[in-house]
Amino acid sequence: MVRFSFLDWLWLFLYILLMTGCGILFYRLGKRSEADFFLAGRGLPWWIPGISVYATHTATDTPIWVSGVIYKYGLRGIWYTFFSAWCAIAAFVSARIFRRSLAFSQAEWQSLRYSGLGAELLRGWMAGWGAFLNMFILGWVGMAMGKLCNYLFGWDKWVGLIIPSLIVAIYVLSAGFWGVVMADFQQGIVAFFTILIASFWGVKAAGGPSAIIEKLSSLGEMWRLNPFHFSGFFKGDFPLSWFLTMIFIAVLGGFGMGTSIDWYAEAQRIQSSKTVRDASYSIWWGTALTLTRNSIWAVAIIAFFVIYPGITDPQQYEMAWYRIAFEHLPAGLLGFLLAGIIAIHFSTISTHLNLGAVYLTRDLYHHYINPEAKEKTLVLAGRISTAILLGGSFIYGTMMEEITKWLIFALWIMGAGMWLPNILQVVWWRFNSWGYLSAWIANLGFSWLIVWVLPAFGVIPELPDYMQFWVLMILTALVYIPVTFLTKPEDMRQLTKYYAMTRPIGWWKPVEREARRIGLIK
Amino acid sequence: MKIIKRKWKPEEADRWTKEDAIAIIVSPIAYALLMIGLALSCFLLIKGFIILGFGIILTWFLHWVIDPKLKAISKEYEKKQRDFLKHLDNIIKWREYE
Repeated sequence: MVRFSFLDWLWLFLYILLMTGCGILFYRLGKRSEADFFLAGRGLPWWIPGISVYATHTATDTPIWVSGVIYKYGLRGIWYTFFSAWCAIAAFVSARIFRRSLAFSQAEWQSLRYSGLGAELLRGWMAGWGAFLNMFILGWVGMAMGKLCNYLFGWDKWVGLIIPSLIVAIYVLSAGFWGVVMADFQQGIVAFFTILIASFWGVKAAGGPSAIIEKLSSLGEMWRLNPFHFSGFFKGDFPLSWFLTMIFIAVLGGFGMGTSIDWYAEAQRIQSSKTVRDASYSIWWGTALTLTRNSIWAVAIIAFFVIYPGITDPQQYEMAWYRIAFEHLPAGLLGFLLAGIIAIHFSTISTHLNLGAVYLTRDLYHHYINPEAKEKTLVLAGRISTAILLGGSFIYGTMMEEITKWLIFALWIMGAGMWLPNILQVVWWRFNSWGYLSAWIANLGFSWLIVWVLPAFGVIPELPDYMQFWVLMILTALVYIPVTFLTKPEDMRQLTKYYAMTRPIGWWKPVEREARRIGLIK
Repeated sequence: MKIIKRKWKPEEADRWTKEDAIAIIVSPIAYALLMIGLALSCFLLIKGFIILGFGIILTWFLHWVIDPKLKAISKEYEKKQRDFLKHLDNIIKWREYE
């Protein structure tokens, strides 16, 4: 348990007051229309959604995860965090295409790219999956806060799960995405300085940079400062083949939409940007900030290692960054640290509350139930959807221990076999909705077999995750490529309209020719 | 003709060109250099400062190459955005678009 002084509590109270006050300030803007409630009116300069990208991807459980990989693998573990580098290419390719589509969500984009029954099936499926996924993430992150409050103050876990989320709900319900993005802006700045100050104190506690290097040397652990210290091509705990697969997935994934789970939150920030240029820079700089934040964390965690070497229990070393911060910051700054942690927690919760509500409101209610709804009704639907997600997240949060394993598996399904279809739908005109749907179904079956069933019965050995990726990618392709060629291409009128709007990259020649012939483009 | 085009007409900017290819190649390298360079610099290692320096130069170069094109695309697209929003409105209302 940590003891707080009056100054610590004051920091915290003032910060929460600022946060909720900010939401109420933007109440009038948020209620103007559906586009205001979910996209802040599509008028933001790049640095506001950019800081929001950074704030959203700094969650309460992120330092726990980063601590785990850096303590275990040293500086080479930082490559685990390089998955977010999909934005390197996405900023200049898929963000440009998606921003030009003007779709509110990835589900809506499906109905611009595809046509007919296939498009509707995809939109409904993506919207349902999106709402569920956001509810799950809310429960997951909420429970991480519950555990942290239990560690700090000895409170029951449900207190940390419910109370912070209820405070966030005040400004998300009031101002929608306006509240989210404006609160994210200040949360991002507070979180950045908190991480910087706490990490600096950690390095100081270990004796400074030179002392850390000396201690690593005396422990015979200098390899921990080498980010390219591989254990072999296939062998060992950090093989080069894993690294190459990670670079392949992360970097080339930027040509697609949905190759990373983070795409869906980023998509909302891309659409809220004022122009295509703002959209590109928002995710490029937001991710640059995220990656450099990981560097700062890594340094502090290596400092923790030289103070406490030889910890073998992951539950212990995964708390490295939190421990070095709480154990070494002076009284008065602890409240500032907790305010920073609250900031990163609030930004993640608010993002997923509003994003989940987009799917329920725009893609399900507005599209299927009440297509003629007025703006006032849609904003009300947005608020009701937000409240449903909040309630659902509390239920998920309390069940988390039982369902986490299943849901991580579900996320893996999205990542492996769907990686290539998510790129093909952007770069290849002939890829159709039936190909995409068959990929989903095939991937579900193959993931089940390759990851669980066949290894459990000893038919195949348990493969490392990067090998599973390649196997699932190839097996799924054996299904969706034939399905694509055996079914008709999408309606050419739909494709030409989509082409004129978005100007996609890749193999679109037949569509481009047709769009020129009918005069849609010059 | 200049190697890097810095003045764009709207119809030219809509096409995918070598400036986009440069951004696509340089951008992930810049990310990796910034991330690794900063971490090593915090340990006051010379190689860290050199890597970080290269990362900053590449970041500047990336923006120098792509920014004029992004500006041209944005300017042109904003003119068309209103019509495209109408199209989006028709799709959500399940109307056939002409």
